[in-house]
Amino acid sequence: MTDSKYFTTTKKGEIFELKAELNSDKKEKKKEAVKKVIASMTVGKDVSALFPDVVNCMQTDNLELKKLVYLYLMNYAKSQPDMAIMAVNTFVKDCEDPNPLIRALAVRTMGCIRVDKITEYLCEPLRKCLKDEDPYVRKTAAVCAAKLHDINAQLVEDQGFLDTLKDLISDSNPMVVANAVAALSEIAESHPNSNLLDLNPQTINKLLTALNECTEWGQIFILDCLANYTPRDDRESQSICERVTPRLSHANSAVVLSAVKVLMKFMEMLPKDLDYYGTLLKKLAPPLVTLLSAEPELQYVALRNINLIVQRRPEILKHEMKVFFVKYNDPIYVKLEKLDIMIRLASQANIAQVLAELKEYATEVDVDFVRKAVRAIGRCAIKVEQSAERCVSTLLDLIQTKVNYVVQEAIVVIKDIFRKYPNKYESVIATLCENLDSLDEPEARAAMIWIVGEYAERIDNADELLESFLEGFHDESTQVQLQLLTAIVKLFLKKPTETQELVQQVLSLATQDSDNPDLRDRGYIYWRLLSTDPVAAKEVVLAEKPLISEETDLIEPTLLEELICHIGTLASVYHKPPSAFVEGSRGVQHKRLPGSAGSGESESQDTGSAAGVTEAPPAVIPSQGDLLGDLLNLDLTPPTTTGPPPPSSGMQMGAMDLLGGGLDSLMGDESEPLGGDLGGSPAMGAGFSAPTAAMPASFNAPVSGGLDDLFDLGGGVGLPMGAYTPPKTIWLPAMKAKGLEISGTFVRRAGVIQMEMTLTNKAMSVMTDFAIQFNRNSFGLAPAGPLQVLTPLSPNQSIEVALPLSTVGPVMKMEPLNNLQVAVKNNIDVFYFSCQYPISMLFVEDGKMERQVFLATWKDIPNDNESQFQIKDCHLNSDAASNKLQGSNIFTIAKRTVEGQDMLYQSMKLTNSIWVLAELRVQAGNPNYTVCLKCRAAEVSQGVFQCYEAVLKN
Amino acid sequence: MISQVFILSSKGDHLIYKDFRGEAGSDVVSIFYEMVTALTGDQPPVVMVTPCSHKDLHFVHVRQGGLYWVATTTADSSPFTVVEFLNRLTALVKDYCGTLSEKSVQMNFALIYELLDEVVDYGYVQTTSSDVLKNFIQTEAVSSRPFSLFDLSNVGLFGAETQQNKVAPSSASARPIQSSREQGGKSEIFVDVIERMSVVIGSNGVLMKADVQGEIRVKCYMPSCSEMRIGLNEEFSIGKSQLRGYGAAVRVDECSFHQAVRLDEFDSHRILRLCPSQGEQTVMQYQLSDNLPSAPPFRLFPTIERDNGGRLLMYMKLRCDLPPKTLSQELSSPDQSAELKPQSRAVVWEIPRFPGGTQLSALFKLDVPGLSSASMLEVGPVGLSFELPKITATGLQVRFLRLSPVQPGPSQRWVRYVTHSDSYTIRV
Repeated sequence: MTDSKYFTTTKKGEIFELKAELNSDKKEKKKEAVKKVIASMTVGKDVSALFPDVVNCMQTDNLELKKLVYLYLMNYAKSQPDMAIMAVNTFVKDCEDPNPLIRALAVRTMGCIRVDKITEYLCEPLRKCLKDEDPYVRKTAAVCAAKLHDINAQLVEDQGFLDTLKDLISDSNPMVVANAVAALSEIAESHPNSNLLDLNPQTINKLLTALNECTEWGQIFILDCLANYTPRDDRESQSICERVTPRLSHANSAVVLSAVKVLMKFMEMLPKDLDYYGTLLKKLAPPLVTLLSAEPELQYVALRNINLIVQRRPEILKHEMKVFFVKYNDPIYVKLEKLDIMIRLASQANIAQVLAELKEYATEVDVDFVRKAVRAIGRCAIKVEQSAERCVSTLLDLIQTKVNYVVQEAIVVIKDIFRKYPNKYESVIATLCENLDSLDEPEARAAMIWIVGEYAERIDNADELLESFLEGFHDESTQVQLQLLTAIVKLFLKKPTETQELVQQVLSLATQDSDNPDLRDRGYIYWRLLSTDPVAAKEVVLAEKPLISEETDLIEPTLLEELICHIGTLASVYHKPPSAFVEGSRGVQHKRLPGSAGSGESESQDTGSAAGVTEAPPAVIPSQGDLLGDLLNLDLTPPTTTGPPPPSSGMQMGAMDLLGGGLDSLMGDESEPLGGDLGGSPAMGAGFSAPTAAMPASFNAPVSGGLDDLFDLGGGVGLPMGAYTPPKTIWLPAMKAKGLEISGTFVRRAGVIQMEMTLTNKAMSVMTDFAIQFNRNSFGLAPAGPLQVLTPLSPNQSIEVALPLSTVGPVMKMEPLNNLQVAVKNNIDVFYFSCQYPISMLFVEDGKMERQVFLATWKDIPNDNESQFQIKDCHLNSDAASNKLQGSNIFTIAKRTVEGQDMLYQSMKLTNSIWVLAELRVQAGNPNYTVCLKCRAAEVSQGVFQCYEAVLKN
Repeated sequence: MISQVFILSSKGDHLIYKDFRGEAGSDVVSIFYEMVTALTGDQPPVVMVTPCSHKDLHFVHVRQGGLYWVATTTADSSPFTVVEFLNRLTALVKDYCGTLSEKSVQMNFALIYELLDEVVDYGYVQTTSSDVLKNFIQTEAVSSRPFSLFDLSNVGLFGAETQQNKVAPSSASARPIQSSREQGGKSEIFVDVIERMSVVIGSNGVLMKADVQGEIRVKCYMPSCSEMRIGLNEEFSIGKSQLRGYGAAVRVDECSFHQAVRLDEFDSHRILRLCPSQGEQTVMQYQLSDNLPSAPPFRLFPTIERDNGGRLLMYMKLRCDLPPKTLSQELSSPDQSAELKPQSRAVVWEIPRFPGGTQLSALFKLDVPGLSSASMLEVGPVGLSFELPKITATGLQVRFLRLSPVQPGPSQRWVRYVTHSDSYTIRV
């Protein structure tokens, strides 16, 4: 007799038949009938009509039948809440049954019936079961408390179940402890601020004891809970680590990963010179390696986690390179992850081995894998300088195979190698050129064109090569078109005599026949550059390129820290914070790694003890999410790709011809990569058209010769910044504005930012109807009121105006950051100018950070965001400097003297709540100061430094 | 936290559906099936659904016995936990129902629901140990075909003992654990030592990488078994530095044990003590990287060249370096076969049996259009897949297997060894 027949009866009148059977007297028949009902339920048939009949079968002492009925109840009670009440009595009775199995079954099922009306009946039985003598009942009741909380949180609190749950943490049965921990953790997540899971050394001790005894699944709950604890000092953290370490050899990979998470987190607190630290590092490697012997699904998840661990602590696995070698029968997603980790672990010591492997991979069958392997070779060359030569020769070997996609990938990475090691490997260009015809992918074509343009002087037939691409110009993708344009301009600048025709052809193709604004803009810019001042053009287009960096695909440090706290979870697989994919309150708190107690050489003596270092300061510092949000806003709000930014929508000044007349005066702020160099990342994910903000600094200087009128507007403004109030400078000369001259400066008075201007009428006629508008800017500066020029301005008359500014206007990142574009209107016309304000204007009065917070924040900001500057020829002592800076809202928090050197720790806060932390070093008798700046938004550092210089020197 | 668990047949039929937390409806089952069937080979297995019913739902699944075993979760829970849980669940279902198939799951749906109810509560895994579960489970398993120990293939003519009866019948381990209670069947215990080898041999014949992953698996059909002691080689050592004596020590790099294993006699006598629960469990897992105690079992001597007619000639000489057995029955040349698989660009050479200490050779001639000297670089590597019975690559042996108290009535204890190839690559 088999159960499969239940699935096959699909006659009419089935419900009726079942009803009859359910009401049968015979127990066996009843059981069969309930089974049939559940079978129908599984395949999705609606059998809710049988609800009363099934509930009638509930009163039975046959446990098997009872379980079946309960199964049915759980499924349909929600759709039939009124009927579900019928079952309550039996539940309550069952909770008193002498058989613990029945008591547990009843309390478990009641919790799963998510009907509000039932909850009040649930309280009494639950209270009893939480204190039941049988651990099986208690552990079921503990979970039931979490279920009830999900339905009615208030009720659970009112009934005092939370306290009972807390008591269960000390239960003698480890299974009960584990479930209580799980229940409390879940409840605590929906109350982030409640102190439900009050983790203190005593409870931690209890948990660690239970850890040794409970089931593997219970161990996971407990370890995950431990990971949320922050030990008080390194000794406690070491003792917890010691007790968690044995879990690393557990057979269940989930236990292992949870243990790794705890260890990775608590390791942060251990001083690196401790012997135990080294021991722990060694112990972490074998379990991670073991994970790679699991089935591919688990391997993939493990590799994603290892990828994070390797970025955080490469030393753990540095000797285990071989286990990441690819097996031929690995699925492709495992292969790609392994490849990524191989490159992260590549170093001078093992590069030969890695290269030999990669070369093998590059001849495999799977196209995706081969491509990635070829790229990996390029990344190795960029990462390990000593290997570059070998990498290049390996790539050349691969090009010899003439396999189309291998050749293309190789050319793309060789271009990156050229960028990294200029003038070293150009001898291979000839080989590359042989393969020109076989390239059909845009990225490879673009890379090849870049190479031809960059090294045009070495390639005899460069003009022919480029000309051949030009024929199908309009069929090419944008990145190829842009690259071709730049390459031909480069070629022209290098060999002007024979390529004039070519460059004219490409310029007209780009500017006249193309619909792509990026291409047109770049074409026009080249055109003007070339026609006004070819020398300047040469300096711009053929300027020295910045070297590309080694690792561009690292996860951003703060995100990495958060992800490390989520090892073993989905977040670590997606490499996204949980808030990115979990809705609601659950799991959205950002987790942080604790600060290291031992490594804080300079700061820890100030605070005395390390306690409290790790109290994250969410109240003062915008949480990471917010800050990122802010920065993203800066980057994303405006359409930056096309020409100058359009005026903000609120402007009332009639027709603004920004693109026409305004273009010239605004072009200095254009942030397109005019040099036309590739994005410059080895990963090359970003195409050519991605706007990078890299070039303007070097761009300004050489160009100003040819494009005078672009820069004399803003040219004088930027640098000489007064101490507190920079002296007025001329922003808008009269000859540019039909007789209106504007000079001005920025002041911060009593917390209000003011723009103080002198308007002078140098024209022959009276000026009236003044109005002012700002373009969107980095810090959202906007006029807080209208421009107060009440009387008409007669010829040769001047007027002083103070315009209060607010910082709530629309935001757009500018280059430089403190650039402000202004439009002023009067009865004659609209005039545009741009000026730069000192960042110190934005320092708010409450910018003094708590010492502790300062310390934690300083550590929290990754070192990459630190920048160091020198201030020369400053003859103040440290106290005077501190006072002077305080006047500009740069607050000194602590001062230390080490070997005659004063160190001032200072903080300031910008109007948009970005904190900047500084360390100012003053050596007695040495006029040169050193300023170290740390800020989550590293872009502001330059501006802040300028303020330091300006304030201290005036 | 697991939100739902469901089991689907390969055709997408709903076999089991259980909702633990009421976070999503049963409609996600079909969404999952659509997604999983649309999955291409290079997509990782943790798949994510676009937001449905206001929440992101994450599916984690394993495929066992031709079925999809799926768990969903909405929170940032651990995929390791879920995958481990699903694997345990399949093992449990296999233990309880005997086999894993659409039919056995369908027939035992009530039992599986009952199991799920005990194993997971509100998304939290409670226990997966069959020892604990046997106290709770009421439903009897239904077996599709009555189990018979005396599979005909194992019995010689006229019931005479053949050589094969020293090996446990392969079907012996495919039966429900519970049935042993009622059927009064033989109480049996199987201890399997299973190793998987990953080897890379360079084109110059040098061993570049050799890994062995092994496990000891116990499958228990004893109604009551208080304690079992498994003795391993006494010279067994763990870790890189720890080598004892001069003898042929058996060494592994890293070892992990099932948590039921008591290790108090392990350090001194290399004895694992455990009370096996009914059904199958992995008692110990270990691994060894490089430094194998013996040479890799197979070596290949390839010659690859181009002949005048533009054909690719691959001459392969494959040697099996295992110690030869005098009793080998294989005298004539084995019935090998070779096939060209144009899709995967590979030649598959199948060798049904390959006695130790012998050598086989083959010559493959391929017509390759446009064969150039550069394309010779593309040939290779050679991948081997094989199974070596009665051999462990690490040399690990089970010295003895003792049960205490001694079982009343007839009981059988089986120890089996096998080494599989995981990835055995020889570069050319």
